[in-house]
Amino acid sequence: MTTLARSRPITTAITQTLKTHPVILALIALFLLFSALYPERFLGPLNFSTILRQFVTLILFALGPSIVIVTGSLDLSYVGIYMLGSVLVWLLTPILGLVSIVVILHLEVATGFLIGVIQVKARIPSFILTLSLLVIYSGLTAYLAGGYPRSVKGYEFITATLIPNLPTAFLWSIPIIAAAVFIMKGTRIGTYLSAIGSNEEGARLAGINVDRYKILAFTLSGLFTGIGSIILFQHHGGSATVELNLNTMVWPLLAIVLGGTSLMGGSGGPQRTILGALTFTVVNRGLVLALLNPEAVQLLLGLLLIVSIVVSSRGLKGVTVT
Amino acid sequence: MATPMDCALLEVKGVSKTFDGVVRALDDVTISVHQNEIVGVVGENGAGKSTLMKILVGVYTPDKGELYCGGKQVPFPKNPKEAAIRGISTVYQEKGVIPLLRVYQFLLLGHEDKYVKFSRLQTDRMKKQAREILEELHVKCDVESYMYELPLSTQKMVEIVRAILSVRLAQGDDHMMSIIILDEPTAPLTIEERRELFGDLLEMKKNASFIFVSHIIPEVMEFTDRVHVLRDGKLVAQYDLSKEKITEKDLFRAIVGRESLETIYKAEDKRVVSEELVLTAKDLTKQGCYYDVSFDLHKGECLGIFGPAGSGKSEIIKTIAGLVSFEEGDLTVKGQKVKADELPHARLGKGIGYFSGETGKELFLNWPIAKNISLVNIEKIVRKPMPVISFDAEKKMTERVMAKLRIKAPSANTDCFSLSGGNKQKVSVGKWVERTPAILLLEDPTIGIDVGARADIYETILEMQKNGISMILVSDDPKEYSVLCDKIMYIKEGRMQRVFSPEEFGEVTKA
Repeated sequence: MTTLARSRPITTAITQTLKTHPVILALIALFLLFSALYPERFLGPLNFSTILRQFVTLILFALGPSIVIVTGSLDLSYVGIYMLGSVLVWLLTPILGLVSIVVILHLEVATGFLIGVIQVKARIPSFILTLSLLVIYSGLTAYLAGGYPRSVKGYEFITATLIPNLPTAFLWSIPIIAAAVFIMKGTRIGTYLSAIGSNEEGARLAGINVDRYKILAFTLSGLFTGIGSIILFQHHGGSATVELNLNTMVWPLLAIVLGGTSLMGGSGGPQRTILGALTFTVVNRGLVLALLNPEAVQLLLGLLLIVSIVVSSRGLKGVTVT
Repeated sequence: MATPMDCALLEVKGVSKTFDGVVRALDDVTISVHQNEIVGVVGENGAGKSTLMKILVGVYTPDKGELYCGGKQVPFPKNPKEAAIRGISTVYQEKGVIPLLRVYQFLLLGHEDKYVKFSRLQTDRMKKQAREILEELHVKCDVESYMYELPLSTQKMVEIVRAILSVRLAQGDDHMMSIIILDEPTAPLTIEERRELFGDLLEMKKNASFIFVSHIIPEVMEFTDRVHVLRDGKLVAQYDLSKEKITEKDLFRAIVGRESLETIYKAEDKRVVSEELVLTAKDLTKQGCYYDVSFDLHKGECLGIFGPAGSGKSEIIKTIAGLVSFEEGDLTVKGQKVKADELPHARLGKGIGYFSGETGKELFLNWPIAKNISLVNIEKIVRKPMPVISFDAEKKMTERVMAKLRIKAPSANTDCFSLSGGNKQKVSVGKWVERTPAILLLEDPTIGIDVGARADIYETILEMQKNGISMILVSDDPKEYSVLCDKIMYIKEGRMQRVFSPEEFGEVTKA
């Protein structure tokens, strides 16, 4: 009797969750598929730790932009800021010592704020603005680094192993993710940002200071990318790259869309991006372990992006097709 | 094909339609359309008007029923194209016009294949065809002009011409009678534009028959030959307006099943307005919009600003809301002057809330009702000292509002896009019930919604007035002023003309 009464709401909760997060089904299906196809390679501890490592990279880059996408804008500058930050750390460490890692954080928050102000005042599409900034920053990075990748020593403590087979960066990322999800789900900031993405005019009529909250969105994006970049800097071996990697730029976006955040804004957010990043990593690892050649993997991932965009715009925007 | 006059051009008999096996949208409905006739189909939102029309154009298939065209039984159309072959076409409420097409391109859109020679589009022939049909149906406009350049009423006419043309082209017969369904065609039009549209329609009656779907009673009374009244999916009444003498009140009662609003609220004794000033406007001026506008607003008072479209009334209320800035003069709220270029959030901080009846503007359609209502009331549901939203409080607040305004929805978590027009409007109003601002600005608060929902909204607004909330009303519907306002300011071409009491105003607008 009691078990029946208790199990009812649980099953409805599960079906409800699956309805709003269809990606969970995909995640489970893919996991089972890859486990069945090549159990030794996929189920080994080495693979799990690799999945977690990639997941960390993705989620830390994707958290900030997922906040911006909720407002209906787009922030593509994260890789550029990360690169410029890294090279600044390389430049400043001999002068300032280990404190220079904090430079990344300042740079990102300042850039986020700047993007926000320009976007609000000049009223230009954030997509092209942040893309231009990405180009500027990557050019500046190459210039400062003299055209070569540079490695920096002394920050190994950030990712020093605490638990064997568990990337320390993953441990660090947990409170960061929690903070992002909390801001977007539990406070008025999240509500206001998604109001702006859903219906900007309506948000204005409801007495929201739209401009200020848009700037806040970009600044928050900068903050989260900044914290993430400090960890990722060492996670990626403590070096400053000078070449813009297309994958580092596109994959976080893919993870966001796969998680079910609509590019039109108004719904989704970091909590969905967690699922998206996890699913994306599993797909990626599965394809790599299948020993396909890298170009084929690239192709399949591109197709995945298209499919997930279609699904998210049809199924989650709440558009009924007549 | 000659249709005998005594036989109906189109007849639908005993149509029933059920959705999901539960919701009974239509129940044994019979309507008929004769040649050269405008037939009204009226009812509240959700009465089944739209479902019936969608069956006629083949969007839905009915569960039961028969269709007769010119006396012969035919199967129901399965898609709009089949409907066009039977002579039926629709002009939708909005979004039918493509603004960046020229008139002739728009008229023949989708029929270009008939004007192709050696894979080249013969625009001259298209223009000629367009000119001919516009002339035949007495619509005056240049086929070369863009759709957006035309006045709204002409745009509607061109849409109607296009519907007639599509029927003719579907049948390849220029003399076939067409039946055009007009689904609330006047919703986006002003009063003057409506008059023009109806003048043209009466002219066009010689060439086509119309089914006129609406819930605006005076329009239906004036322009239709016969009226079918739907309520809760049933045909409750039909009147032949040329033979029977019925009044607006009769029609109203048939539609809603209760007495008219004015009768309900007339008996209400007027409340006493306190002497406390909450808002003063002194010589407010914005060039090209309004000049030297001055008025006082007391606590609990409702001021109506009335005038024709383009008189500046809408700009004045938007100025107070912070959506438009003024150039000269003073605006004082609770004894403090406010800056001219403040934005809505700053004005809300001073206690001025703004509500517009255009639901698209106001609502977050992909959000549940609860979030739509809590958005302006977030202070109330945030815990202290950590600013965390309490979803429990949000749910309770929403259920309070839903009960008060009789919002019909499965739960507080229902997404707003699935609600009917009236219920959407109620959600928009409901959020201000919880917020209780000092001043609430209402712009067309009940535009486009049925009488039942209107009554619920009026009741709520009047209760808020009793609780001491001051209001300013701008609307297209004169009756709304009589129901809601304590004094009415008449404005013309941006200048104040005079101030009426509700009684005087009632007399003036009746004449």
